[in-house]
Amino acid sequence: MSKSVTDNKHWLISQTELESWLDQIANARTLIAPREVAGLTLYRPVEKSAEIAWSDKPLRSAPSGRPVLSVKEIFFPATERMFSIQKSGQDIALKESFPDWETVVFGVRPCDAHGAKLLDVLFLDTNPIDMFYARRRENTTLIGLACKSPGSTCFCTSVGGAPDDVRDMDIMLFENEGGYLAEAMTEKGRFLIPGGEWKETTTDLPSANFEIQFPIPEKGKWPEHFNDDYWMKISERCLSCRACAFVCPTCRCFAVRDELMAPGEFERIRCWDACAGENYRRVAGGHKPRPEKGERLRNRFYCKFFYYPEQYGIGNASACTGCGRCIDVCPAGVDITEVLVDLEKPA
Amino acid sequence: MNQNPMLPYLGKLVEVRDLAADIKLLRLEMLNGGSEAFRTYQPGQFAFISAFGFGEAPFGIANTCGRGPMVDFAVARVGSVTTGLHELGQGDVVGVRGPLGNWFPMKKFKGNNLIVLGGGIGGAPLRPVIQFVLDNRPDFGSLTILWAARHPSLLVFTDEYDEWRAAPNTSLHLTVDNPDDNWKQNVGLITQLLEKVAPSPENSVTITCGPPIMIHFVTKLLQEKLGFTPRNNYVTLEARMHCGLGKCGRCNMGEKLVCVDGPVFNMEEVGGLLETYM
Repeated sequence: MSKSVTDNKHWLISQTELESWLDQIANARTLIAPREVAGLTLYRPVEKSAEIAWSDKPLRSAPSGRPVLSVKEIFFPATERMFSIQKSGQDIALKESFPDWETVVFGVRPCDAHGAKLLDVLFLDTNPIDMFYARRRENTTLIGLACKSPGSTCFCTSVGGAPDDVRDMDIMLFENEGGYLAEAMTEKGRFLIPGGEWKETTTDLPSANFEIQFPIPEKGKWPEHFNDDYWMKISERCLSCRACAFVCPTCRCFAVRDELMAPGEFERIRCWDACAGENYRRVAGGHKPRPEKGERLRNRFYCKFFYYPEQYGIGNASACTGCGRCIDVCPAGVDITEVLVDLEKPA
Repeated sequence: MNQNPMLPYLGKLVEVRDLAADIKLLRLEMLNGGSEAFRTYQPGQFAFISAFGFGEAPFGIANTCGRGPMVDFAVARVGSVTTGLHELGQGDVVGVRGPLGNWFPMKKFKGNNLIVLGGGIGGAPLRPVIQFVLDNRPDFGSLTILWAARHPSLLVFTDEYDEWRAAPNTSLHLTVDNPDDNWKQNVGLITQLLEKVAPSPENSVTITCGPPIMIHFVTKLLQEKLGFTPRNNYVTLEARMHCGLGKCGRCNMGEKLVCVDGPVFNMEEVGGLLETYM
């Protein structure tokens, strides 16, 4: 990770200055930003700042809300080639290739940057290092955007996040009277700031906080809820569709398989997978652990608040960033905040 | 391990033979960097085998490295990767990633009586334990092997039973759920056999591998009826893994990951977690 900078310099820029800066970045590297695709806002490459999904009202301004999928897909794409396989008779040749594009992501919300940090713990800080994730992560600069108001399903403040959380950003922008205040958090971010062109300012950075507090059971209390009937009851709603895991900034389960590309040519790929799937754990002899939907749904919640923190040593922090995406996409109304409230109720 | 731990070494099949119905023994000669990586490995470790064009799956290594440079795996045909592996023959090349995971603490077992319980293909990762004991016979007390399968045609390593029986202070007990006309051994579940053999817990350690339900009932019987303490019960667990490196998230048993915290577990350490694995 890039070293942090501590000189506390910040700049005041207009919307026009921001857009021309992003245009310059897009000319030199791949710029990824919230963009409208088929009616959805997604983090996608843009060739110029005009393609970004800016809010139009009252004046063109920061993209509203958060994209449907998190920045996870930039470091850990839904499908990734790990190597190619050439097969000719009994001869096998394997050819490695790694992603090598340099990207800048604009419009990253604090919950998403925090999600990336949580995935770093698994892919970068726990041996062996995941070379695919590491390449993408090292070559990416995150330009964050502080949130002015919470979305209807946001609850980052319940899980240790904040709308102005700068910790996991390279550059952070704060909306400020028709323009933005910018601060570089890391050397990587500082490198992108156009030296003399921007006006330095002593204006205080705005701080923001949301009054959203859902109770998160302490880590040590999770084991005692394991056999609660609750999991089977709440899972009556669950369709095992796995959408919650795919939109989650920290769900990272994957499957590995070979795809046929041409006669004798294959690619070993990995793709997202999720613990809600019924065949996810099928083993030799046809045995399927966690046959019940409730057991699988329970695993998802335990993974966020107990298993993942235990497995990768993040102490009492949770692996949920409070982005609320799983609530938005669930077609059956499974709501993680409702589950957290229910768990804290006396039995 | 390769610098990229998801990239397999190559291994050449030097022998492929039927081990049981729909179960084959694959014997591999490691090529290139693989021969160095597999110079040493321990009883209980596993590796991923690739059937190129299909994918890869994890298998317990079925021999000790002391028995020579070749590496054995028992592969039951259950899905696409294992079907792909069953289609291969001598001279074909597969991918191998490993050795992975922890192992049975054989040094710690020195001087103990060992009771080895294998159910079906679950016998494969226990074969190196048996080989290790036979090859270092004076270091261990008695060796009691309880070997089970649903049907006689599903018993693995049948051609080695004579060697096992002939070893000093070693006994082999066989059972099947559904016998055929030629079957002259025990009939019933491994738990019934275990009750009949009733090994003493004195200075003894058990090592079990089989379907989760078998592990559950064997462990219960050992602890509730035969007087074993969880500390003296070891199991090796199977899980559907896709990386073996603690990344893919699939093989969790509670907060443990079978791939990196196991596959070998002491029941004292995981007793309460087994229910999350069922």
